[in-house]
Amino acid sequence: MSDAGQRMNPPQRALRLHRQLSGVWSDLPGWRGVLSSVNHGTIGLRFMATACVFFAIGGVLSMLIRAQLSTPRGAFLDTALYNQIFTMHGSIMMFLFAIPMLEGLALWLLPKILGARDMAFPRLSALGYWCYLFGGTIILLSLLAGVAPDGGWFMYTPLSDKTHTPGVNADVWLLGITFVEISAVAAAVEITVTILRCRAADMPLTRMPLMGWYMLGTSVMMLVGFPPLILGSILLELERAFDWPFFAVARGGDPLLWQHLFWLFGHPEVYIIFLPAAGALSTIIPILSRTTILGYGAVVAAVLGLVFLSFGLWVHHMFTVGIPHMALAFFSAASALVAVPTAVQVFVWIGTIWKGRPQLKLPMLYVLGFFLTFVMGGLTGVMLAIVPFNWQAHDTAFVTAHLHYVLIGGFVFPMLAALTYWMPLICGRERVPRLGEAAFWLILIGFHGTFFIMHLTGLLGMPRRIDVYPDNPEWVLPNLISSIFSMVMAMGFALFAFDIILQRFLGTHSRRNPWQAPTLDWAMALPAPVYNFASLPVAAHEGRDVAVTLARGEGLLPGAPRGWRETLVVEAGSGRPEHIAVLPDNSMLPVATALTIGSFFILMLAGLYWLTPLSILGIILVLWRWGFVMGADRDHAVVAVAPSLELPLHWQVRGTLAYGGAVATLVADTSLYACLLFGVGFLTVVAPGWPAPESTVPGLWSAALAIIALAALGFGAFAARQAEAGRATRMAQTHALSGIVSAVVALAAFAGIASGMDDPTRHARDALRGVLLGFAVVHVVIALLLALRCHADARGGRMSAHRRGAAPVWRLWQDFAFVTTAISALLVTAQELL
Amino acid sequence: MLLGAAAITAFVLILLAIAWRRSEGSGPDERVWTLGLGVGFVMTVLVALVGYGFWVGERILPRTDGALRITAEAQQWGWVFTQPGPDGAVIETQDVLYVPARTPLDLEITSTDVIHSFWVPRLGGKMDAVPGRANVLRLFAEAPGELEGLCAEFCGLGHSFMRFRVIVYEPGAFPDLSTSDGDENE
Amino acid sequence: MRWAAWMLAGPLLWAGLFSVVYALHGVGCAWGWPALTTPIGQAQVVILAAVWVGGLALHAILIWQMPRGPSREDRLVSYGAWIGLVASLLTLAPILLTSTCF
Repeated sequence: MSDAGQRMNPPQRALRLHRQLSGVWSDLPGWRGVLSSVNHGTIGLRFMATACVFFAIGGVLSMLIRAQLSTPRGAFLDTALYNQIFTMHGSIMMFLFAIPMLEGLALWLLPKILGARDMAFPRLSALGYWCYLFGGTIILLSLLAGVAPDGGWFMYTPLSDKTHTPGVNADVWLLGITFVEISAVAAAVEITVTILRCRAADMPLTRMPLMGWYMLGTSVMMLVGFPPLILGSILLELERAFDWPFFAVARGGDPLLWQHLFWLFGHPEVYIIFLPAAGALSTIIPILSRTTILGYGAVVAAVLGLVFLSFGLWVHHMFTVGIPHMALAFFSAASALVAVPTAVQVFVWIGTIWKGRPQLKLPMLYVLGFFLTFVMGGLTGVMLAIVPFNWQAHDTAFVTAHLHYVLIGGFVFPMLAALTYWMPLICGRERVPRLGEAAFWLILIGFHGTFFIMHLTGLLGMPRRIDVYPDNPEWVLPNLISSIFSMVMAMGFALFAFDIILQRFLGTHSRRNPWQAPTLDWAMALPAPVYNFASLPVAAHEGRDVAVTLARGEGLLPGAPRGWRETLVVEAGSGRPEHIAVLPDNSMLPVATALTIGSFFILMLAGLYWLTPLSILGIILVLWRWGFVMGADRDHAVVAVAPSLELPLHWQVRGTLAYGGAVATLVADTSLYACLLFGVGFLTVVAPGWPAPESTVPGLWSAALAIIALAALGFGAFAARQAEAGRATRMAQTHALSGIVSAVVALAAFAGIASGMDDPTRHARDALRGVLLGFAVVHVVIALLLALRCHADARGGRMSAHRRGAAPVWRLWQDFAFVTTAISALLVTAQELL
Repeated sequence: MLLGAAAITAFVLILLAIAWRRSEGSGPDERVWTLGLGVGFVMTVLVALVGYGFWVGERILPRTDGALRITAEAQQWGWVFTQPGPDGAVIETQDVLYVPARTPLDLEITSTDVIHSFWVPRLGGKMDAVPGRANVLRLFAEAPGELEGLCAEFCGLGHSFMRFRVIVYEPGAFPDLSTSDGDENE
Repeated sequence: MRWAAWMLAGPLLWAGLFSVVYALHGVGCAWGWPALTTPIGQAQVVILAAVWVGGLALHAILIWQMPRGPSREDRLVSYGAWIGLVASLLTLAPILLTSTCF
C-alpha cells in the first residue's frame, strides 16, 4: 500500500491557489451560471432549497387537510379537491421533498466529508436537478389547474385506470413522478461511484466516515428499489394510454401486480429516507458528545442488515388483500426483524452519548427530538408488523400517526439537526441566538400534539382519507386537537425557515470548524470554497487540524495548474490512488437534456403520442452530443500528484468513473428487468384471467427471427471486444462498423417479430410480450448508439493504445442487451411450448 | 402491546437521560450496547411478539369447516350482501348486513369496480374487496345489536360515505326487515 | 475487495432464499400442492422446508468457511454471514408454524 501521507507537496501561497482554483471551478456569472452550473456545492444546495420549498407547499396542503378535518362536516374543501390535496400532500412529501432533500445533502456533503473536489459526474448532478425541477413543476401546475392526481399517493389500480380516472390526473402522477425518478436514479449512480472511487487517498472503505457507509447503502437501495416503481408507472401509463392490460382483471391483468411493484419500491423507500438521516445522526452525535462513535463495525453491520432486510418487507402493506397467512407470516417476521438493526443503532447512539460529554447545542436538541419521536414510531411499526393487529389498524389514522412518527421522527428531525449543524459551512455565519430553540419547541410540541392523539383516533375506527364524518361524534374532539396542534407545528417550521434566512443574511461570521469536528468536511475555510480543497487530503489528515496545510497546497494535486477541474480517483476497497479524473466544466448540456426529456413527458401528458418520436430523436441527439464531449484526442502526460507520486489522467485508464457509472446503471437496469420477469411470473401464476387465449404468433417465422436477432447481438458483443483490442489500429473502425451493422440487423429482426405478434390489447400475456420486445429494442438502440460513438472515436483519432473511447462501455452494454434478449426469447418460447 | 410499547419507550428515554447526566468516562463495553441491548433484548421481545401474532393469526383464519357463507359485493359506493333471510331463504340487501350472533361465519368479499375494504371496527379484522378475487374473512359477533361498518380503502369520491350497518340478531330470531329501515332490494 | 464479497454473501443468500421460497409458495398454492401428501407431511410444507433447510445448510457452510481474523474487514465478514443466517432462520420459520394457503 502506498503511503501518501508521507508525500507532501511544498507549501505555496494560499491566496494564489485560491484564485487559481476559483477561476477554474466557479460557476459562470449571471443567468448563464444558473443554467450551466455543474458544481456539486451549487447543485446540492439547489436540491435542498427546492426540496424545502416543496416541503412548505406540502405543509400548506397538510394544513388544508387539518382545517377540513377539524370539524365533522368540514365545508372547507369539496371531496374532489380534498382527494387531490391529500394525494398531493403524500406525493410531494415523498417524491419532491424527502428524496431530493437526501440527494441534495449527499451531493453537497459527500465530496467534502470524503475529501474530494466534486462528485464523480457533475453534469449528471445537474441533469438530475433539472429533471427534478421540471417534473416537480409539472405536478405542481396540475394542482393549480385543478387536475392534480387524486387517487392517493400510492395510486392503486383500478381506481387510477382510465375507466375510473378518465382525466389526466393519474397521468400527471405517473409521468411527473417518473420524470423525477430519473433524477433519483441518476443521483444513485453518482453517489455509489463517488463513495467507492472519490475518497481521500489511502482511506480504505472500512475506515471512511460512517456517512459514507450510510449513503452507500442508500444509493444501492435506490438503484435496486426505484426501478420497480418506474416499471410499474410505465406499465400503468401504457395501460392508460394504449389500453395494454396489465392490471385489468378481465384481460389477464391483476391490480395486485401494481401493489407489489409499488410497495417493492415503497417500503425500501422508507429506509432510503431513513439511512441518510441516521448517517447524519451517526456523524453529529459523536462530535457534539466530544467522543468517537461507539461501535463502527456494529453500525456498518446495521446498515448492511437494513439494506437487505428492507427489501423483504413490502408485503406488510398488503396484509389485507387476501394473501395466504404463511406468505404474510414471512413478511411479518422480516418486518419485525428489521427492528433489530434499527435498535442496534439507537443503542449505539445512546452508548456514544454515555461515554462522551454531550453538549446541548441546537443540532443536539433535534437529535433528542428524534429519539423521543422515532422510538415511538418504531414501536408502533413493530405493532403493525403483527398480522392480526394490522388487520385492525390497517388504513386507519393509526397508520397515519405511525408513518408521521417514523418519517418526521426518523427523517425531518435528523435533517433539521443536519441543517443547523452544517449551516455554518454552507453560509459561513453563526446563527442568531435563541430563535432556533423556540422553533424546536414549537415543532416538537406541535408534532406530538397533532400525531400522538391520532393513534387513538385510529383505534376509535377512523379510516384514512375521509373528508367528513358527520355520524361519528367520538372522532370530533381528537381531530380538533390534532388540527390545533398542527397549526403550532406549522408555526414552528415557519420560524425555523425564518431562523435559517436570518442566519444566512444577518449572522455574525463563524470561526472555522465551530464544532471542533475531526472530519474532513470542516477542514476548509468557511463558507466552503467551490473547489472544497486547494490540495486534496489523505486519510491520515482526518482528526488533525489540516485546513491551513491543505489551503497552502501541501496535500495532493494542489491547485489547477492545467486549468482543469481535477480530482483524485482511488481504488474502491483500499483507497490507493489510481488516477486523476478531469471533471467537466460548466455546461448547458444538462439543462438541454432535461428539456428534451421533459418535452417527451409533456407530449405524453397532452396525448400527442404521434409527436413523441420527435422528442425521442431530440433525446438521442443530446445524448450524442453528451458522448462527444467525453474522451480526448491525444495522449496526455502523467501528472505529478505529490513529489513521489505520478498518476495518469482518466482518458488513459480503463477503470474510469464513467465505466463505474455504467456498471451502476446496469444494476438499476437489471432490477428493472427482474421486476418485469416477476410481473410475467406473477400474472401467469396468480392472476385470475389465465390461461391466455390461443396464441396466433407464426411460431417458426418468429423463432427464426429471434435466432437472427440473438446471433446479431452476439456478433455485436464480439465486435465490441475486437474494437477495443484493436484500438491502436485502423481495424477498430471496421469492428465498430460491423457492430453497427449487427445492431441494425437485430432491430430489423425485431421489427419482423413485432409484425407477427398478437394484439397487445387482447390479453396481459400479449401486452407483456410487447413490453419485453420494447425492452430489447431500447437496449439495442442504445447499443447501436454506443457502436456509432465508438466508430466516431476511432475515426476521429480519439482511440489509441492508451485511450479506449466508448469501447468498454459499449461492450458492457452489448453483453447486457444480449443476455436480457436471450432470457426474454427463452421465456416466450417456454410460454409457447408449455 | 400498548403497555409494552410504553414501557420500552420509557426504558430507552431513561437510558438516554442517564447517558446525558452521567459524567464522561468508559461506560459499559460496546458489546453490551450492540449485542446485548440491540440484538439480544430486541430479538427476545420480537420473537415472543411475532410468535404470539402467528398464533392469533392462525386462530382467526377462515377454514373449510362448513361455516355459514355470506357474500359481500362492493361497488362505487355501496355494498350488496347476500345472506340467509328470515325463513332460511337467501336474500340480497344493500348496505345492511344481517349476522346471527355467536355463529362463526365466512364473508366472501369481492368488488365489481375498484378496490374497497370491508371493515367493521367492533368486529375486528379487515379485508380488501379486490376485483377478480373473492377474499374470505372469518367473522364472529358476540352479542346482538347494531354495528357500524365502513370502507377502509380509499375508493374515490364517495369513500367517506361508503358506510353500512351490521345487524347482529339472536340465531333463529331474524329481525323484521321492514322495521330496520334498510333499503333492501327485494 | 474480496472481503466485501464475503460480507455480502450471507445477506445475498438470504435474499435469494427468501425470493425462491416466496415464489414456490405462490406457485404451490396456485397448483394445489397442499392437497398432495407425502409420507412426511403435506407436499407444500415438505418442498418449502426442504429448500429452507438446504439454504440454511449453505449459510452454515458460509460461516464455517469464512475468513476469520481481528481486522475490521474480517469482523464485517462475520457480521454479514451471521445476519444472513439469522434472517433466513427467522423470516422463513413460518414454513413450519403457519397454515399454507389460507
